[in-house]
Amino acid sequence: MNFAGIDIGSTMTKVVIVDEQENIIQELIGPTGAEHRHLALTVMKEALEKTGLIFEQLGFIVATGYGRINVPFADKQITEITCHARGVRALFPSVRIVIDIGGQDSKGIKLNQEGRVVNFVMNDKCAAGTGRFLEVIAETLGIELTDLGRLSLQAENIVQISNTCTVFAEHEVTSRLAEGAKIPDICAGLHEAIAGRVVNMVRTLGIEKEVVVTGGGAKNPGLVKAIEGKVGFPVLTPPEPLITGALGAALTGKDLADKGLAPDQERRLEGVTFFK
Amino acid sequence: MEEREPAKTTATKGTDAARKIRAMVKNIYKSCHEAQSQGKKVAYIMVSSQYDEILRAMDIVPLPTENYAGLCAAKRDMDRFLTKAEEDGYSQVLCSYARIGLGFDSLRKELGGMPENAPDGGMPLPDIILGSSGVCDPRFKWFQACGRFMTAPTYSIDVMHPPVHCDLNAVRDHYVQYQKVQFEGLIAFLEKQTGKPLNKDRLWETIRLGDEAWRLWYESDRLRTAKPCVMPSQDHFNVMVPAYYYSGTQEAVDYFQDLVDEVKYKVENKLAVVPDEKYRILYGGGLPPWHTMWFFNYFESFGAVFVIENQYRGFDPVEVPDHVKDPVEYLAWRAFLRYTARHEQAKANSGNPVVEKILDLIQDYDIDGVFFHACRSCRATTIGQIHTKNMLGRYSDLPMTQFVSDMVDLRDYSEAQWKAQIHAFLDAMASRKK
Repeated sequence: MNFAGIDIGSTMTKVVIVDEQENIIQELIGPTGAEHRHLALTVMKEALEKTGLIFEQLGFIVATGYGRINVPFADKQITEITCHARGVRALFPSVRIVIDIGGQDSKGIKLNQEGRVVNFVMNDKCAAGTGRFLEVIAETLGIELTDLGRLSLQAENIVQISNTCTVFAEHEVTSRLAEGAKIPDICAGLHEAIAGRVVNMVRTLGIEKEVVVTGGGAKNPGLVKAIEGKVGFPVLTPPEPLITGALGAALTGKDLADKGLAPDQERRLEGVTFFK
Repeated sequence: MEEREPAKTTATKGTDAARKIRAMVKNIYKSCHEAQSQGKKVAYIMVSSQYDEILRAMDIVPLPTENYAGLCAAKRDMDRFLTKAEEDGYSQVLCSYARIGLGFDSLRKELGGMPENAPDGGMPLPDIILGSSGVCDPRFKWFQACGRFMTAPTYSIDVMHPPVHCDLNAVRDHYVQYQKVQFEGLIAFLEKQTGKPLNKDRLWETIRLGDEAWRLWYESDRLRTAKPCVMPSQDHFNVMVPAYYYSGTQEAVDYFQDLVDEVKYKVENKLAVVPDEKYRILYGGGLPPWHTMWFFNYFESFGAVFVIENQYRGFDPVEVPDHVKDPVEYLAWRAFLRYTARHEQAKANSGNPVVEKILDLIQDYDIDGVFFHACRSCRATTIGQIHTKNMLGRYSDLPMTQFVSDMVDLRDYSEAQWKAQIHAFLDAMASRKK
């Protein structure tokens, strides 16, 4: 029996299929886009095709992420807080704090020794502190989002950037460029700003070792370095930081099956019908 | 133009008693208008100022400006007052109760009369303004600022807040005497304004009524320890109205007697708020979001009920010593005992009376999770929340969450974010129950 997790995030959709030994046998990542209600079906079909599995071989399908309600073939919808915690715990059993920096939100999750979520915090109605902040500024700088991290590691004089508002930060970056600041120094300043905001938020939970950073932010070495500077010790990142939510969803499905729960017999691999 | 249905802001209530509150709120403002036509004095007041029974004894009709702000929010008619205050230069981070009040006063002055369709007929111009230092500084700064819009005489009293780590036996006499002097100053001011001396027998009577109402209120809350929950927190945030705004009246006593009877009946017959109660939540602190009270019902749709609250329920009953024979001294003693009720317990344990109270509630009400509401513009109830939450985490492994918006300013609220957070909180409680 296999178990699938599908995480429809604000910018990326992720699917993970695990076997009964909790090994990942398939992972897929694709952009969510505006028509994410169709995408769930597409990526699930693709994941099945790549693994050679048929839909009926999936013991449980759990959907998570903000688009989780648009996965009609899922047996259960579970919040990303729970799924991230479960996924990260599977990869790093000693984790106590998860910092997830996603496309349009960031969150902190505190786990106890048993791996149970005891507290969490989410960013508050603001893009500053999320991947969107970096996207906007990368565009202003005229560089690729994926280059931000590499460039920031070359910084010599980090430029201070405000972390209170993405729009103001964009304006500030334009001013700094006009003043002759170097792009690597600005990139490092951005990471300092975002790390400062996110770590301050997570501090409300009480930061304890081990800290694991996930989401798109964890793929940015400059941002991870800045986070380490703020928390004061090295943090951990998964091999593929985007899939921890989907992995957690798949493992939660396995947990449900282990408890003897059976998936819905009526489920069909089909998309939502109310979206044209 | 097509008329739009007003947005639903209120929550479905669990008790008949709570459903009676709307009429009582309307009556607050109606009675203020009527009082002035009868030659009585109407006073702007602040909650928890400890002076309620004095006003009732002197026939002064209280006009609670904070309540009016909450009323405007529940009616989703706050923007014009908030905007007016901000136009006048008041910052958006200033207490939004104060901004609504000041905006209302400013607009009333500018229009030369009541703003059109003001909720519940609007607040009449007060004859007297009575501030205090109880709870927060806008309680006297707000009323000080009212001088821009009216000429009513203003008086503010200090309300004691003895520190936790003091030796209560050593400081008691000083605080009681200090509070008594504060009340005496207020009484002298009110006697001058009304032209009538305070009748101390009448004050004893209003104190008796005030204490009895609060005792009954406490009794109803103790009944709420029963499982399943029969009276949810949205009801509490209604029944607080007679406790605070009718304090010192027979009406409040009668109301709370009815409430006790109803809660008792519901407990005996297990008339639950939700049929399948899964999670019992403590409203740990922060002013309620008056603009979106239906969020309580949203929780209930998942079997989660707010069963008790640590907000707008500041004081358990206290026993003032028998040797106190003067009603003004009694009020001073009562204030001292109220504000130090958990000091000794705190000194012996966490060092924090708020944490002690919440820990007591967690145990007594068999709580599954603790909810806090951080209000952007309420420093008094928001600053320290995270500290409280973290301290609680040392003594309890319950899931806790802090939601952010404001008590009345809708601009600080995001429905999508709240719903996302609600589901995460429900998950956390479910995970602990496994």
